[in-house]
Amino acid sequence: MTNDPDHYILDRVLAGDQQAYASLVDKHKSYAFTIAYKILQNRGEAEEAAQDAFIKAYHHLAGFNRQSKFSTWLFRIVFNTAISYKRKSRQQFQDIEKTVVAYSQEGESILEKSDQKRFLRQALAKLNEADRTALSLFYLEELSLEEIAEITGTQANTVKVRIHRARLRLAEELKTLLNHEALML
Amino acid sequence: MEKISPELEEKLLDYLDGSLRGAEKESLEQQFQQNPVLKARLETLRTLHQLLAGNNLEQPSKNFTQQVMLKLDQYPRTSSLSIRNGLLLLTGVFVVAILAALMVSTGMFDNTTSVIDLNKIEVPKPLEAPQQYVQEYIQQPLPSFEFDGKLMVNIIICLNLVLGWILLDRAILKPLFKKRMQMGH
Repeated sequence: MTNDPDHYILDRVLAGDQQAYASLVDKHKSYAFTIAYKILQNRGEAEEAAQDAFIKAYHHLAGFNRQSKFSTWLFRIVFNTAISYKRKSRQQFQDIEKTVVAYSQEGESILEKSDQKRFLRQALAKLNEADRTALSLFYLEELSLEEIAEITGTQANTVKVRIHRARLRLAEELKTLLNHEALML
Repeated sequence: MEKISPELEEKLLDYLDGSLRGAEKESLEQQFQQNPVLKARLETLRTLHQLLAGNNLEQPSKNFTQQVMLKLDQYPRTSSLSIRNGLLLLTGVFVVAILAALMVSTGMFDNTTSVIDLNKIEVPKPLEAPQQYVQEYIQQPLPSFEFDGKLMVNIIICLNLVLGWILLDRAILKPLFKKRMQMGH
């Protein structure tokens, strides 16, 4: 059992204080949404998947054994929900080139602050889903390799190898994209 | 151009992640001084590392928490049976049960009792030979069954009524009470 401050809020929710759950949603929504977004690469679907995950988590709170942090358990639900959305989504039938084009078009939104970020997104989109997700989770900073392993249902060593491999591949993709011009890549 | 081994690249990434310590870290730092190719690779990966680290959290919509809290009581979101379909099915089940009960009460199935004698059943040609052996060596008469049509219809009526009660509970009463509870909140 961990010393997770969220567990106190969970006790309140389980005692019938439904509104207490709102504070948990507020606290973890950005991470949950980011995880779903990294997998689905579509804001609308990611929002729906993340909301769905929070609702699933709420209805299975009694079954949460508190062996891990609430956030780790929640993110695993988000991960699985997003993967299941991805499977249902027609996007999976798109080839990688189409995905990159769609991605860069979306990238022209106001959210794109620099070319570097756009190139990074394009390069990330070229990675396979498992590598991209592991890498994204790793750079969310708060998550340890063990937590990422728990969320993705893999071994910590596998996650480490995946992250290393993804970064090297990403470096190569960026190098290709930037044609040796920017970032000294 | 000198190629960096995968093991060394892994060490570079560990160095950037801050997981390399002690003598191993010092040894690598010394190699940076002596090997410009390695140093250049470190800078490339450091740039990538910084880019990824600056890849901030995505923010969901402003009413994300509100949406989740509104949907909490709607779980499971997609009921396999809607109230309307449940009502239709329930009506069908009861109509069949009532019709069958009326037919039984008018005496339609009173003379439907018959005896099924397995010894009188004609054996298909390919099985004739084994049947001869059975009669010759076993010499045991096969049992006969009494088929009561009225009893069968009564059993069907009972099963229909049980099914009807289950449907009434699952498709109508439960969602109805749930709705009332939500309205009471």
